Amino acid sequence: MAPLFSFHFRYDDNMHETETSRKQVDVEDTIGRIYQRFVDPGTAAQGGVIDDSRYRLMRGKHEQFVRDALHGLSSEFAVLDASQPWLAFWCLNSLDMMGSEIGPQLRRRALDTVRRFQVASGGFAGGDRQLPHLAGSFAAVMALVLVGGREAYEAIDRMAMYSWLMKMKRADGSFEMHAGGEVDVRGIYCALVIASLLNIMTPELIAGSADFVARCQTCEGGIGPFPGVEAHGGYTVCGLAALEILGRTDVLDLGRLARWLSARQLAFEGGFNGRTNKLVDGCYAYWVGGAFTLLQKALGRSQRDGYLYERAALQRYVLACCQDSRMGGLRDKPGKSPDLYHTMYCLLGLSLSQHYTGVEPEEAIGDTTAIYSVPARMMQWGPLPAGAEIVGVQSNAIKPVHPVYSVPLVPLAKCVQYFYSLPPLVASLG
Amino acid sequence: MRIEGSEDVEGAVPLSQQEEWADVTPLPQDDGENPVCPIAYTDEYRETMDYLRAVMARGEVSQRALALTTRAIETNPGHYTAWTYRKRLVEELAVDIGGELEWVSEISEMYPKNYQLWHHREALVERLLDPADALKMTEDERIAHPTIRRELQFLANAIDEESKNFHAWSYRQWLIAKYGLWGQELAFVDTMINQDVRNNSAWNQRYFVVLQGQDPATVTLDAGLVLREITYAVENIKSAPNNESPWSYVVGLLLRHAPAKLHTELMPRISALATAEDYHLAMTTTPFYWSALVDIYEQQAKEQPERRAELLGQARSACDSLAAEHDLIRGKYWRYRKTMLA
Repeated sequence: MAPLFSFHFRYDDNMHETETSRKQVDVEDTIGRIYQRFVDPGTAAQGGVIDDSRYRLMRGKHEQFVRDALHGLSSEFAVLDASQPWLAFWCLNSLDMMGSEIGPQLRRRALDTVRRFQVASGGFAGGDRQLPHLAGSFAAVMALVLVGGREAYEAIDRMAMYSWLMKMKRADGSFEMHAGGEVDVRGIYCALVIASLLNIMTPELIAGSADFVARCQTCEGGIGPFPGVEAHGGYTVCGLAALEILGRTDVLDLGRLARWLSARQLAFEGGFNGRTNKLVDGCYAYWVGGAFTLLQKALGRSQRDGYLYERAALQRYVLACCQDSRMGGLRDKPGKSPDLYHTMYCLLGLSLSQHYTGVEPEEAIGDTTAIYSVPARMMQWGPLPAGAEIVGVQSNAIKPVHPVYSVPLVPLAKCVQYFYSLPPLVASLG
Repeated sequence: MRIEGSEDVEGAVPLSQQEEWADVTPLPQDDGENPVCPIAYTDEYRETMDYLRAVMARGEVSQRALALTTRAIETNPGHYTAWTYRKRLVEELAVDIGGELEWVSEISEMYPKNYQLWHHREALVERLLDPADALKMTEDERIAHPTIRRELQFLANAIDEESKNFHAWSYRQWLIAKYGLWGQELAFVDTMINQDVRNNSAWNQRYFVVLQGQDPATVTLDAGLVLREITYAVENIKSAPNNESPWSYVVGLLLRHAPAKLHTELMPRISALATAEDYHLAMTTTPFYWSALVDIYEQQAKEQPERRAELLGQARSACDSLAAEHDLIRGKYWRYRKTMLA
């Protein structure tokens, strides 16, 4: 039985209405009606108690939603024509997390699709004959991790990837998203995820990146895309994950970061928003939830200390408000349409809040920024026994995922094992 | 709305039947035999892309290539490769930049969340007005310059349309910093905060203006300026105490740049509000007030070692009220915060 569900948590606008407060109140009205369905009718006298056994993850529906997308997408998806590796990644990752089998046929199709996006001079493009792009490269590499196996790993041209990444690198430690493209913290995250997985990190590649991320921390405490710009959940997990790879989370003001992150959970909705005074959105279950998971290690907190947010409240938001029971798939909030992006990020957030995926402080590999420590430091993240907190039926549990790499742990470990059995980059260049 | 090159996409004669394109062999998209997530492109989009791939492959610089990028981007503004190619075409064909800016403005009305158009816009503006030349003028002259006037007007409209448009605010920062437009910005920020005191993008912009491009890690802010900002934040707290933005702003700013003023300046002002009849209830029920007290007492304890135990005790009891009464959803955070106050 969950705590009392109460309208005490609703937003107080101090009788001073603005556009922000009107939108907030509207969302709460809608969500309040949905949460009412989860109240045990026998508890009206006590003001209504939420019956958690009513929360169900509609796996079958979501699986069908994803499989339909793998089969084909309608013409409106032309707006994702330059994000094709993402389509594969969203689908494969959602299926894998839900434990839905990615059979040999789908693996073959996905591998053949994604490898075509690779550009001879390095990196992966968003589609046929497009320019290599850091976000597309991230998604393509992660999709290949999920396909798994030697053929998928060997499809990636590491040397070309490295030289392309170095071309995108700027003197201040940041990266262009593509040649001549925009610069922000996403670029650092994508580059470091790729380099750390493929065993191609070098001092030149990472020089200045930690400092750039630190400059993006705002006085509110979160991280923005670029120095000066407002703190945002998406850039915050990118920045924090990049620093985790570098072993440099100490460059941030972690106290302010913790304060800002904790402020993202909305009292009535239970889900997270991405910026101060913005509305709840299911995708922040990962962007903010992932940052909370990473923060645990940065602060030296253990599983017994617990996460700094309400895991059950987040799960209730995802399960009650983000599932589309008609079409399948997950969404931003009630009233919005489900899509592949929200499906994957809602599931990632659900997983991270169901499991305690962490590193116990006494077992953590000593603080080191040495590049050779990267695979060991990354692979020490794992689900800790007795750390699970599953809202609803136990079968709602999905697979544990890595907070930095945002994929299930088993395919990730296999990929790391493969690339770190190869000679490091400098030796192979020599 | 009429956009050059796109007016007749619907029901138009296919490119393959147009004399103008007879010399080009379209390059179909090659996704292999059985790709995952194949998109059922419309015939128009597919054909546009087939010809676009063909002209890009041979590096063609022509008006018709430019028209193709128009068609491609209007259907799919996330096509960064088409944007990159277009940027080159605009330069090499000496396209009228004013017209190009207008076209980009129309795209941004249709797709406010797109990344590429803002980046394209930066390059155009820099070509119209070299920042090095602009910085030789006075700030008033710069603001009066037609290019700057147009950009400020465009941004005012975009932000009016969507007051928290992340890309628009980011672009605005780029413009302000690049062309040294600091003097006029506070008035704009003020207008936006007056429209919606909860617009956090505007509060963030206020901090940006306070810093004027200086490195927050090394800058020393003028004492008068810090006082002005405290007064401004508190005035806005008055209009709606349960508003995270001014609290986050003023506490964040003071912690970074003038921590002693948390207890010497901010504390007396918010205490006065908390005891004033009109504000008492709203102040003492909002978690942001109690949260500020935690930071204030903690800072004061650092500066007054003789009262350290007492002040930390007050900070801890503020954490207790937050965890138990005013901010239940963040109970775990406040209990953690309390352990940091030993």
